[in-house]
Amino acid sequence: MMVKVKDGKVTRVEGNPSHPFTQGRLCAKTNHYEERVNHAERVLYPMRRVGPKGAGAFERISWQDALSEISTRWRGIIAEHGPTAILPYSYLGTQGLVNGLTVGDPFFNKLGATVSERTFCDSAACTAYIMTVGPTPGMDPESFQYSKLIILWACNMLSTNAHMWPFVEKAQRNGAKVIVIDPVRTKGAQLADQHIRIKPGTDAALALAMMNVIVNENLVDQDYVDKYTVGYEELKAHVQRYTPEFAAEETGVDAQVIRTLAREYAATQPAAIRIGVGIERSAGGGQLVRALTSLPALVGAWRKTGGGILQLPLWAFPINWAGLHRADLTPPGTRVINQWHLGRALTGELPLDKPVQSLFVYNSNPVVVAPDQAALLKGLSRDDLFTVVSEHFITDTARYADLLLPATTQAEQVDLMFSWGHFYMTHNAQSVEPMGEAVSNSELFRRLAKAMDFDDPFFYRDDEQIMQDSMLWDNPAMAGITMETLRATGYMRLTMPAPEAYAPHAEGNFPTPSGKVELKASMAAGGNFVLPVFRQGSNDHQDGSPVDALPTYHARHESATKTPELAAKFPLSMMSPKSHAFINSNYPNIKRQFAHQGEQFVMISPGDAAQRGIGQNAVVKVHNARGAFTAVARVTDDAMPGVVVAPLGYWVDKTRSHATPAALNPTAFADLGRAPTFSDNLVEVSLA
Amino acid sequence: MTHVVTANCDQCRFTECVTVCPVACFRGDGTRLYIEPDLCVDCGACVPICPVHAIVDSFDLLPDQEVWLETNRTQAKLLPNVRERSTPLATAAQRQAALGY
Repeated sequence: MMVKVKDGKVTRVEGNPSHPFTQGRLCAKTNHYEERVNHAERVLYPMRRVGPKGAGAFERISWQDALSEISTRWRGIIAEHGPTAILPYSYLGTQGLVNGLTVGDPFFNKLGATVSERTFCDSAACTAYIMTVGPTPGMDPESFQYSKLIILWACNMLSTNAHMWPFVEKAQRNGAKVIVIDPVRTKGAQLADQHIRIKPGTDAALALAMMNVIVNENLVDQDYVDKYTVGYEELKAHVQRYTPEFAAEETGVDAQVIRTLAREYAATQPAAIRIGVGIERSAGGGQLVRALTSLPALVGAWRKTGGGILQLPLWAFPINWAGLHRADLTPPGTRVINQWHLGRALTGELPLDKPVQSLFVYNSNPVVVAPDQAALLKGLSRDDLFTVVSEHFITDTARYADLLLPATTQAEQVDLMFSWGHFYMTHNAQSVEPMGEAVSNSELFRRLAKAMDFDDPFFYRDDEQIMQDSMLWDNPAMAGITMETLRATGYMRLTMPAPEAYAPHAEGNFPTPSGKVELKASMAAGGNFVLPVFRQGSNDHQDGSPVDALPTYHARHESATKTPELAAKFPLSMMSPKSHAFINSNYPNIKRQFAHQGEQFVMISPGDAAQRGIGQNAVVKVHNARGAFTAVARVTDDAMPGVVVAPLGYWVDKTRSHATPAALNPTAFADLGRAPTFSDNLVEVSLA
Repeated sequence: MTHVVTANCDQCRFTECVTVCPVACFRGDGTRLYIEPDLCVDCGACVPICPVHAIVDSFDLLPDQEVWLETNRTQAKLLPNVRERSTPLATAAQRQAALGY
């Protein structure tokens, strides 16, 4: 992103035409980032709550008073209850190695606060992927242009990964077949050669039936399997139960379509799979990714450029995670609370050795993104809970803050970025001075360290030093990349083969314990786990529940077969995918993005709508036993029969009934990595 | 919501826009272009590249430009895809100057 500045003010932002991946484009979310930076409702000064919790009434105070109040309250809480009575809550509302995911970890680890387990995105997928192929970058997204067959599996690319689309489209123009597997008829599905509509949460049955066809019809690349995989014979026996007919019953996809898919996938090399974040959000989401990550090895897709699977480019970046988290500072055995359980943790419904007395929120708006909205609002309303929120705006969560702290936007701070979508490092230059008294997260934690009398100089490093410390510069992928070169160009591709030559596993070399693709995963023996990167570096109190060593189908938690009584009452399946114009809960308060996204809506198929007397644009209530929200009905074939789609991100205070899809979302975990199960959710829709 | 091609494209048809559109959502005839609103992803890449500032985010349409929303939608459904750049119309330079760009 290039930021235009005039008289110290951000006037415009543009894509960078020289960037090989983004090619001058931004997206519907960030095209007018200046409107966020300059927004009249920015929180620009520290504030103290003056009305009841949730009312959103605040008065301006000084930074000194804010910090002094925090340190006094926290010292009191620590003295009385111990430091684990303090819970940090954050994710990726701000990005970057300096100010993003890990910025508060050293501080809270040193403080001895409860470890926050942040399994927002891709935690199940990451656990599954690491178990199968290890932390390999996998496919280069730019290499998709050389693919002959592309499967976009649960990936709404044109809304959430739009910069990758031109590489897919180039392959398509060169004759590749593009297949979208998604319950929703997304824009990508409309542009694909084939759209396979699948019942939410049943994809693993499809993937395993593909394996069944591949192993039984001798479509396997036996040489690749023999040399570079372990567990093939056991897998072959294991997938016999997953016939196309079985999968057809589960998924709603015709058995012949499944056979053809498997045959084409095996025969058309190089074949590429791109999975989206939503793929993991049902009971069996983790094992689904185990199956999908196993598929390329079975057919030898890794042999050529343009073949394999892309989960997250994250693994390509040699990041000094240990130095960013500083889990070595955590008192051994410190308790861990998963962020999806925040509501129950605050209300006391979650069994805890001691209650949470203070909540510190930054880079996140849990009221909108976490499930169990009603419990969360009840918990946040507790008078005895000392809540501090660092934010750009008075969000639904910030309304409940005792103290509200002003945070800078990406334009007002410096940072170094790895990428979730490509293989380039980016230098986030500071474009303008911080607005008002806003501070970057790194500065916030320097101030907090001082307020808590931390004496370790580590906590007082400037941003330049944090950037220097955040990467493993002597890693081969960083050869030739320095802060100076990054500053000069804004971005640099990691030092690795060019997209046209990148085939990292043409001859095996998987970073797993065996060095091979573990169709039968040796890491399953240790039980279920969340990668330490999603839990402040901690490896204590891991889930540990049993994990199938072979990719296995787990039916949804909520379905007509498993929970017939629930399904009789709530017959529709709800998904709450990412919105086109928002990034999670970011931007619904910006008029432009709200106009593009439209009022909170739910997509429902014409048949399901007619059955309920719901007309186009009718106001409806979406409900289940956990809660309800009101939305405008979009009656459309884009939603498949039996499935309703309610994009997330809307702020509670901007909706008709002060509730969003989070009010209905379950707190149950997926089978791996404690991922959420938001697509495993039965609801009913009726006229409001 | 979508982006739309407004009046400035008339007599110009520069077609720089089609080279940057990631979803090939431009449609047109011999006189001008339109955007297929059901495909446009609002990436905005075409906005700065148009020499006569013809392409506008629907959010930014002035009241007298609102008509282009429906015109784009209707025409895009009828006309063929335009994805290759072509020579601007003979009147383009004159029109560009008249528009002050």
